[in-house]
Amino acid sequence: MKQTDVFRWVSVVPVNLWLWLWVLLPTLMLVAVSFATREPEDLIEWTLTFDNYARLSDSLYITVFWDSLWLAGITALLCLAAGFPFAWWLTRLQPRWRALALFLIIIPFWTNSLIRTYAIKLILGKQGIINNVLLGIGVIDAPLDMLYTPGAVICGLVYILFPFMVLPLYSNLEKLDQSLLEAARDLGASRLQVLRKIVIPLTMPGIVAGVLIVFLPAMGMFYIADLLGGAKNLLLGNIIKNQFLSSMDWPFGSAISIAMIVLMGLLMLAYFQAAKRINRSGGIHDSTL
Amino acid sequence: MNMKKWWIALTLAGVSTLATAGEQVIVYNWSEYIPEDTLQKFKKETGIEVVYSTYESNETLYTKLKLMKGAGYDVVVPSTYYVSKMKKEGLLQKVDKAKLDNFKNLDPDLLNKPFDPNNDYSVPYLWGSTGIGINVRDIPEDSISGWQDFWNPKFKNQILLTDDVREVFHMALRIKGHSANTTDEAHIKEAYEYLKELMPNVRVFNSDAPGEPFLTGDVSLGMIWNGSVVQAQEDNTDIQYLYPKEGAVFWMDSFVIPAGAKNVENAHKFINYMLKAEVAKDCVDYVGYATPNKAGKALLDDETASNPTIFPDKETLDAGEFHNDVGDAVLIYDKYWQLLKAGK
Repeated sequence: MKQTDVFRWVSVVPVNLWLWLWVLLPTLMLVAVSFATREPEDLIEWTLTFDNYARLSDSLYITVFWDSLWLAGITALLCLAAGFPFAWWLTRLQPRWRALALFLIIIPFWTNSLIRTYAIKLILGKQGIINNVLLGIGVIDAPLDMLYTPGAVICGLVYILFPFMVLPLYSNLEKLDQSLLEAARDLGASRLQVLRKIVIPLTMPGIVAGVLIVFLPAMGMFYIADLLGGAKNLLLGNIIKNQFLSSMDWPFGSAISIAMIVLMGLLMLAYFQAAKRINRSGGIHDSTL
Repeated sequence: MNMKKWWIALTLAGVSTLATAGEQVIVYNWSEYIPEDTLQKFKKETGIEVVYSTYESNETLYTKLKLMKGAGYDVVVPSTYYVSKMKKEGLLQKVDKAKLDNFKNLDPDLLNKPFDPNNDYSVPYLWGSTGIGINVRDIPEDSISGWQDFWNPKFKNQILLTDDVREVFHMALRIKGHSANTTDEAHIKEAYEYLKELMPNVRVFNSDAPGEPFLTGDVSLGMIWNGSVVQAQEDNTDIQYLYPKEGAVFWMDSFVIPAGAKNVENAHKFINYMLKAEVAKDCVDYVGYATPNKAGKALLDDETASNPTIFPDKETLDAGEFHNDVGDAVLIYDKYWQLLKAGK
């Protein structure tokens, strides 16, 4: 056997086995359970039913779903609004500084996000750093209520997920052909026009990727909503947890999980479709530019 | 990899198997629920290694044992009615009291409770309550007397509740004159309607560490466990504990041996060790909850032993309620809990 074959075999087979065993198989089990019936003594009774999916249309779950969607949407938009200029600025730095800046973005990942969330609690609290400073310099008379509000949840989500937005944007902006921008300027385009007609269309795959990578986890990060929002609102993650631990309704919990996976799948599909269309129409050979 | 490296790897693997093949007992307990040095002392005395891990809710413990059909752990510490629930479902085995010579240390008043009438399956470890926490610097202590005061509109966006459906419904059910163990949907719905009026006052739900928002000054009034107050008082003596006039929630955490335990003999040795008077005393000093261990309580200094936050009088105890298993009514509770949180 040739050396490369061995390498291929050694690298591909374990990864495949790993994914089959720990990703595909559990997901298939989840699908199977989602069609079963709740049975408090044995957890699951194998009686086929579609009730678990029918129950999803209950107005309670629709509300929770919209709340989760809204929270994730705002987070993705804020990350984009802050991440795009930041990524643009990164590409303008000298390579040496750029490496350092990227490194600094990644460093917080070395600390568990749960610990960083607790740190945010200390910053936003009634006797936290922000309130103490504002009180100290006399801007406010009474401490602001920042912790345990929806604003605190969004703040936490944006902080935790910001790097996921910056990195895909950066890799797209970096590839952007600078001569295109110069050409546009030479031909009389204003700065805004350059941004709208050239930069944004060409970096659309990065924008969509960033938005998706932020949006999807934001839907499920219920511990941030619990810690910073005071657990006052339900997100889909909370409901799934309740079904498995408290209500002992594994089939329904599975059905919600599967519904979420399907939704994420649809979003990914939309992304690939969009990316295909952009590649077809956004390239430099496109005459509509 | 060359032969030498293989040998080293194999030898290391062999050594580590030998090391774990020694005597051990696998204990699964609530987080922060045992003094830090107790496990080392136990090993020193008996030579038995404790494999220790923790959980933060009965539901987590129950689901794990249920999935593994009662195997995987030698000693676990469920609360109150989870003992009867697990016993009923065949997840527990009988405790051999003949092997526990320290069992006599326990207070007979705290034995033979309804969840295990003969203590055939469970040995009480610690007990405590959920009542009212108050920071007396911000709120005068005499202005609060019961759960009802949480509904006062002046506490808008200020109250802490535990993130526990049974405890939160306990308040409203007791105020409305029902048992906190009701399985009647009409009662639960009535409690839900009343709790809905409380929601504008709720600042945070917290069942991980309800003492922490009191310490950081984010809340000054709310539900709390008595042991959390005792712990918080080490940093801030303004934080006080009140037993609400409508009745506190009481619970008792007990050692049990799962049906599939591998080291049954060592499990008994561990439980017997925990029943020693000195060990029971250390537990109270460390976690701030009451011990059912009479001999252990006798060793406590007067201040701790007479602290009503830790050891309530009989009247307070009788006014409160231990939670029971509500069976499938848990689905009704969960339904209204979700409605409450989703703001419907």
